[in-house]
Amino acid sequence: MSNEAALHHSVDVSTSHDTHGDGHMHHHHETFITKYVFSQDHKMIAKQFLITGMVWAVLGGLMSVLFRLQLGYPDSHFYWLEDILGKWWVKDGQITPEAYYALVTTHGTVLVFFVLTAGLSGTFANFLIPLQIGARDMASPFMNMLSYWFFFAASCVMLSSMFVETGPFSGGWTAYPPLSALGSASPGSKTGMDLWIVAMALFVVSSLLGGLNYIATILNMRTKGMSMTRLPLTIWALFFTAVLGVLSFPVLLSGFILLIFDRNFGTSFYLSDIFINGVGALPNEGGSAILFQHLFWFLGHPEVYIILLPAMGMVSEILSVNSRKPIFGYMAMIGSLFAIAILAFLVWAHHMFVTGLNPFLGSVFVLLTLLIAVPSAIKVFNWLTTLWRGNIRFTPAMMFAIGFVSLFISGGLTGIWLGNSALDIHLHDTYFVIAHFHIVMGVASMFGMFAGIYHWYPKMYGKHLNNTLGFIHFWITIAGAYLIFWPMHYEGLAGMPRRYYDYSNWESFKQFIDLNRFISTVAMIVFATQLLFLFNFFYSIFKGRKVTSRNPWQSNTLEWTTPIHPGHGNWVGEIPEVYRWPYDYGKDGVDFIPQTTPVGEEESHH
Amino acid sequence: MSTTTTAVPEKLWSGGKSPFKVEYGKLMMWYFLMSDAFTFGAFLIAYGTTRFATNGWPNPNEVFKSYPFAGENSHAPLVFVSIMTFILIISSVTMVLAVQAGQQMNKNKVVINLILTILGGAAFLSCQAWEWTHLFHEGAWWGRNPFMNADGTQSTTGFTNFFFTITGFHGFHVFSGVIINIVMLIMTLTDKFEKRGHYLMIEKAGLYWHFVDLVWVFVFTCFYLI
Amino acid sequence: MEHTAVAEHHGGGTKEVIKVTIILSVLTVIELALGFAMMGMEQGSSLKLAIKGTIVILMLAKAFYIVGYFMHLKHEVKNLIMTIVVPLLLFVWFITAFLFEGNSFKHLKNTYDPYKKELSTKKAEKKEETKEIKTEEKKKAVE
Repeated sequence: MSNEAALHHSVDVSTSHDTHGDGHMHHHHETFITKYVFSQDHKMIAKQFLITGMVWAVLGGLMSVLFRLQLGYPDSHFYWLEDILGKWWVKDGQITPEAYYALVTTHGTVLVFFVLTAGLSGTFANFLIPLQIGARDMASPFMNMLSYWFFFAASCVMLSSMFVETGPFSGGWTAYPPLSALGSASPGSKTGMDLWIVAMALFVVSSLLGGLNYIATILNMRTKGMSMTRLPLTIWALFFTAVLGVLSFPVLLSGFILLIFDRNFGTSFYLSDIFINGVGALPNEGGSAILFQHLFWFLGHPEVYIILLPAMGMVSEILSVNSRKPIFGYMAMIGSLFAIAILAFLVWAHHMFVTGLNPFLGSVFVLLTLLIAVPSAIKVFNWLTTLWRGNIRFTPAMMFAIGFVSLFISGGLTGIWLGNSALDIHLHDTYFVIAHFHIVMGVASMFGMFAGIYHWYPKMYGKHLNNTLGFIHFWITIAGAYLIFWPMHYEGLAGMPRRYYDYSNWESFKQFIDLNRFISTVAMIVFATQLLFLFNFFYSIFKGRKVTSRNPWQSNTLEWTTPIHPGHGNWVGEIPEVYRWPYDYGKDGVDFIPQTTPVGEEESHH
Repeated sequence: MSTTTTAVPEKLWSGGKSPFKVEYGKLMMWYFLMSDAFTFGAFLIAYGTTRFATNGWPNPNEVFKSYPFAGENSHAPLVFVSIMTFILIISSVTMVLAVQAGQQMNKNKVVINLILTILGGAAFLSCQAWEWTHLFHEGAWWGRNPFMNADGTQSTTGFTNFFFTITGFHGFHVFSGVIINIVMLIMTLTDKFEKRGHYLMIEKAGLYWHFVDLVWVFVFTCFYLI
Repeated sequence: MEHTAVAEHHGGGTKEVIKVTIILSVLTVIELALGFAMMGMEQGSSLKLAIKGTIVILMLAKAFYIVGYFMHLKHEVKNLIMTIVVPLLLFVWFITAFLFEGNSFKHLKNTYDPYKKELSTKKAEKKEETKEIKTEEKKKAVE
């Protein structure tokens, strides 16, 4: 019986923790170190994730500008770049081929993992989960802190790989062997790859620590009355994101461990029949490079949903709040999130149709892949019907949320093309693929992230962002996103392969010189606009318009019941109890009814 | 989800408490073990895939046929590994007993059973160390495979590569499990749990230890039997 | 289901532990016996495959007893059991697709790489020599 008693005892501890702060927040002695550096407050950790993610976004974006410079102006010489970046990166005023591949690889790795995984789900899972479910903090604040610092360590290692003599890893963000397994295969496969793999291993640890915490918090720490079906859709999305991460990142880790053995200990898990110019035939026998691709994409495909789901959740919430209407099809939204999460694990080989995959197996993967269109379409229709006849408030957050829906539709439709193994023979590894995944996963998720930042900024810093700058940011970014990636579809259909250094050498791709120059120019403008957003962000922390009411968006969810500047512990006094779902907008003629309002006797049922 | 909420009279999911009646630490341990299951699963599946993709494979009975203090030409397949398996099962049993003793707040029984578990773990690690050394002296290592395929043809190094990587990874888990158990033992001896009023930490350590045993069931089958 | 879960929260006590220990030992002994029985059999015979299948089933039974009783899962709340067992179903497609692909890879290699196929049928006499020959042959093939 003692165990049961202990269980209740530990629950008691947490409730007494709630009550003895009544009247005022805990006033621990907080030094600069415990408050801003090794903080265990989920809100501070969220900001740490966000700002680290922003630093990486700037670096990753800058990398794309540099390689777009090469693609758009292959014949020009930028001697001033040589002075800034040095001889390894720029020779004779042109990006060197080694540097070009290093830039492409690091751009991909950084944007996918460091910005859109850690920066997006790390930020908003940390910030929103305790606030929206009604908890003082994460289940384990200490592990939460570790999660950030592992990410920070991963960032440092990845950044340091930019400065080694042989250059950073340059075999593509997917790190396919043999290029990644053999140091002699390319300069970037030497020290750069070692650092890359160490950084990624640290990143996996970070994301596991975070993910376990998110799941345990959402399941165990909900406030009274907050049943699973009263959770905001953001929390559902972040929940499935965490589940995807916890189940798929370990597989990547296994794949990487085998890769490390291949690199350093003479094994041949992924190697067979290899001849390297200048080295000769290698003794490795019996491995299969395709095995790595399978292991990689077993993570890699869930990974795209790890990136996309938090954006979907936040967009659902923002669309509903700013349409002043309940979200359409709440249960269908949860169901489709669940379906997407399951299907994410079943479709990995659609990235590998042309590797010599067994055609029968390929056809099963086609079927499973195309099934994802069903839940995705359900979500799109629900977003559109939420907007339908709503009293839409066009805040910058709302604009970005609508932009997300637009991008998700246009990028998702090309996914149906690519999911067919027969079409993929032509489209594989062309700019069509680049356009598809940048629109549907990259830019769309960035839009979700921007929407989240604009929407929850008042909660984060107690200030408003400047709206005019926000609108400029939105319009240039969405126009730019389409202008950059729409033409790439045509290039891809014409067969233009990705990852080439200079297309002007090919007769068939010469026609795209002007188009490439156009894309590069737009990319630079869009990048500059993001700097405008950064200015807005940091300026507003200090000089922004002060938030004067607790609930600036007239929203129903719990985070707006906390003080404008919530301390560690979020609520003063008791945690509020929840009586209804979070989407009672415009019900019975009332504009909004917060979740903490008890259900009235004469209230209609929904 | 809503249907199950209404079906359960106690309203497990209505918030304010754990729907599973477990504290968050145990929940996290379970989900960590799930993710670790995927790590091991990926290793074993990679091994299976490579084996399916290779024309021949060494016969485990020809490879693992020796035991300590046996002569050069001993032929006793499956004997040594069955000893290892039983050591791990017994250490798992003593761990269960330690957890149960913890639930009864019986400190002495916890201490005795934890010590037995640690000894079992150490014994298993010693067995593994002997086996690795033995194989190493026969010429097997990462990237080196002295054994022929079962049909007498030249084999690839896949067999030894996977064997040493996966049993090594499992051995690493056993090692960290032993360390965790030693920490638990020290905490028990210094009355940390008595002061807390519960031995829930030992339950979590127990989950980890049983998981290590569970993985061995799969490793044992995949490498030694089939 | 729910009330039994509460009542048996601590499991069946020492008796149950002894029972499960005996079951696990017996299963292991059967596995070993099957392993010994398999030794003399011809490679790839259907009987051998059947025995291997039996061993896999016994392995899963052992896993069930360890997870269910030692790790106490059987005595937890039903929902917790579901959240742990259901995601493990992902392994079904994980294993099927990977092994299917491995098998198909072997057939592709044997069909389109006759040199490999020939190598794999050659009996290995002495390890060192064959290795040298192999690398030499390879160099020639490359040239």
